[in-house]
Amino acid sequence: MEFKYLGKNVQRPDAVSKVTGKAVFLDDIKLPEMLYAAILTPPYAHAKILSIDTSEAEKSPGVVKVVTGQGCKVVYGDCIRDRYPMAVDKVRYIGEPVAAVIAENPYYAKQAVKKIKVEYEKLPVYTDALEAMKEDAVLIHEKNGEYWHLPAYKPIPKTNVAMHYELKKGDVEKGFKEADVVVEGEFIYPFGSSAAIEPHGTIAWFKEDGTIEIWSSSICPFIIREDIARTYGVPVSDVRVHIPEIGGCFGYKSDVIIEQTVAYIASFVPGRPVKWVASRKEDFTSTVIAHGMRIRMKIGAKKDGKLVAMKATVYHSTGAYADTGVNIAQGAAHSSTGPYEVPNCYLEAYSVYTNTPPVGAYRAYGYQYSHFALERLMSILARKLNMDEFELREKNYLGEGKENALGEKMWKMHGDVKKCTDLVKKAIFSKPKPKEDERYFYGRGFAAIVKGPKGAPNSSKGCYIKFNIDGSVSINMGGAEVGQGLRTVVKQVTAEALKIPPEKVRVYTEIDTQFSPWEWQTIGSMFTVQGGRAIVRAAERLIQKLKQNAAYALRCDIDMLDYDGEYVFLKSDPSVRISVPEIVRGYMHDDGITVGEVLQATADARLPRYSLPDPETGQGNMGVDYTFGAQGCEIRIDKKTGEIIVDHFASAFDVGQVINPVQIRGQVVGGVMMGIGATLYEELKFDKDGRIINPHFKTYRFPTIEDTPKKQTVEFVETPDEIGPFGARGIGEHPVIGVAPAILNAIYDAIGVDFYRIPITPDLIKKAIEEKKKQKTEVS
Amino acid sequence: MGEKINFTVNGKPVSVEIEGWEKLLDILRDYLSLTGAKRGCDDATCGACVVVVNGEAVKSCIYSAKKLEGAEVITIEGLTDGKKLHPIQQALIDAGAVQCGFCSPAIILELYALFNKNIDATEEEILKALKNHLCRCTGYETILEGAKLAQKYLKEGKVFK
Repeated sequence: MEFKYLGKNVQRPDAVSKVTGKAVFLDDIKLPEMLYAAILTPPYAHAKILSIDTSEAEKSPGVVKVVTGQGCKVVYGDCIRDRYPMAVDKVRYIGEPVAAVIAENPYYAKQAVKKIKVEYEKLPVYTDALEAMKEDAVLIHEKNGEYWHLPAYKPIPKTNVAMHYELKKGDVEKGFKEADVVVEGEFIYPFGSSAAIEPHGTIAWFKEDGTIEIWSSSICPFIIREDIARTYGVPVSDVRVHIPEIGGCFGYKSDVIIEQTVAYIASFVPGRPVKWVASRKEDFTSTVIAHGMRIRMKIGAKKDGKLVAMKATVYHSTGAYADTGVNIAQGAAHSSTGPYEVPNCYLEAYSVYTNTPPVGAYRAYGYQYSHFALERLMSILARKLNMDEFELREKNYLGEGKENALGEKMWKMHGDVKKCTDLVKKAIFSKPKPKEDERYFYGRGFAAIVKGPKGAPNSSKGCYIKFNIDGSVSINMGGAEVGQGLRTVVKQVTAEALKIPPEKVRVYTEIDTQFSPWEWQTIGSMFTVQGGRAIVRAAERLIQKLKQNAAYALRCDIDMLDYDGEYVFLKSDPSVRISVPEIVRGYMHDDGITVGEVLQATADARLPRYSLPDPETGQGNMGVDYTFGAQGCEIRIDKKTGEIIVDHFASAFDVGQVINPVQIRGQVVGGVMMGIGATLYEELKFDKDGRIINPHFKTYRFPTIEDTPKKQTVEFVETPDEIGPFGARGIGEHPVIGVAPAILNAIYDAIGVDFYRIPITPDLIKKAIEEKKKQKTEVS
Repeated sequence: MGEKINFTVNGKPVSVEIEGWEKLLDILRDYLSLTGAKRGCDDATCGACVVVVNGEAVKSCIYSAKKLEGAEVITIEGLTDGKKLHPIQQALIDAGAVQCGFCSPAIILELYALFNKNIDATEEEILKALKNHLCRCTGYETILEGAKLAQKYLKEGKVFK
């Protein structure tokens, strides 16, 4: 379909403020009389607090107040209410706030915090779900099972299992009996971090009038508002949350955690705002981290490649507090069948308390873990069946009329994974692979993917549009711009929907719960779909109002009128018309008497019929809108150094409708790079005492410009979506999903070794090559 | 106790009293309210704090304020006159290299220092300069494109408003 303003490279509305350094991020905000907090964290990952002595710290220069968690009654959480803003009687992870100093400047606060003395009694430390699940394991939360939680989550009391989820489809035992071939494996996606370049931070201010004002580098202002209001017993309307520019998110800034800690600290100095911004180390230790996944997966297939059964168990080291992390494990479990139809499934997930920082959201929200296991196993299955791996996949792909593990039926509008596959096949596999030479092994790998949003049944996005007197338009929404280009999407979709040039659309900048329309939170690649639909709905209402006002002016019935962006005119005689500015505030007759509505409208949109999981089967409409895709790569492995060089990475996604070509390519290229980081470099390492070995960029190997693939191919299929605006669907998270399995499949292709864990470092490759050589000599 | 340091920022003379522990980044952000330079890490690895001192791109988070006497500092705020964008700024926008924008000012200043010294910098030299800057959003593709485009704009003497 041809659009006037979609599919074009409109400049992002925030570009100039960002390149001039004028964009205001959290740490750039200075408020009158602002104080600064520094937070003390424990030397042990699991220990009882015996005593805290703050006397020396209180005497330190510039100190206003020293705060501890002693006597703190606050417990919070959205899914499981198991979090405390500051440790009360025990610490459960290495970055947990134990005490804080509030001082006149950050330097004084940091100096004083070192003077707080705490006595601890060490407790056993578990950094992995399997250890914490052992029968004799000490409980990290004695109250597990007693915490308030949403009904859909099932904790196992008297254990460290915070949530157990089961999904049953068909008859899995029968399915495996029918299988001719079975493959299985255990896959590990270790701890990592979203690691946005802007560290997370919050300002909290308890004001004299009883209201509370918060600023945070967060993407869920409305959830913060409700959480803080509940915690401090004030009306939700008395909490005001501001979201300034956000320097990247990638997941972790969607979990309410530091806001509660900073608010707790600030509550001790009412009348003055308190700022806390994480150092890089604290961003790793004291916000939320990522992954911590172990998946055991087993697939059964017939000789002809038809999949008949799948069993998967997700063990999630969810960290010291489970709360929202449970959704990641659940997502990993129910997405285990990926882009395939599997008639018989048993998929389960355990979110297990461990003495590691809480795991929070990370781009792809569980789907990258399941796809890592699935797409590796599909390649292994193809080998076992002696079948072309594309043929195997295509035989089982979801598509119109097929049903995913959740029991959701797929329609044409969900997109076409086969078309995506063909594009990647052409880019990567159409030419013969280079032959092994003196220096390198060569390999190619593939992975197919699908992802739906992680929503909530009531999650929706609101939109307010007003026409200004000159025909320009101001639009206000609650969606957080984190770099993904959401504001550009808003601009272009509004322009298209109202048939006006993008230059006439002014998009909102910061979010302020006092003015912004309600939005659940900006997560799960849902903004384009839901937010875009909300814009279209608001625009339709505005056009209807335009026509109503024009009808008064032109003295005819509404259905005789049409609108072209500048005028409302009579369909039968376009010369009978009135311009938009003349009817923006209603229509004024010659004598000044004015009739009609002011041209402003609100609307919202949610995913239709999105549901909770069924308590028996674990199935339900928990995706509703899906984006399919395919990814592949050509790699080289240096025989001497073991280094993996990604020469070419190709991705194709069925996005329904491209809104901005430059921006969408940027999303994909950046997402692939993030996936490469996780696959080849990044791991947040813990020692056996639960200390993070590498909480700095010098040691947490973050990809640089020298690590980029030599070439990235990015293609799009456009099967229109019925929910998103003008056929568009989400793409934010998808590019990271297939990267690890595609690269590990390519490694097998290059050296004939199967890996089941990432990151794959040069050392691992060297070892594998040597091992292989040894085996060869032993055989010969 | 305070020591007075005199230097110029974006061509204007400034005089600040320091306690001694401050780094250039503290001076810019907290004393002079020039917040375009960002704090992204605590071990001088991310590059978000880079500004230009005496023609060189430096990491202001580890540059001691005591060394500033007589120095010429250029920050992102000094690249525009309130109306026109600098060609490097426009190039990064045109290439789609601006996403969250947190690392953008420092990258622009890194390129500013590089191209001032050598407008014909090779791709290898550009990569060498940019490898000191971490970016989580873009995957770096558009940043490299933007750098090359900036080089072109500068050579052509393009003016942007």
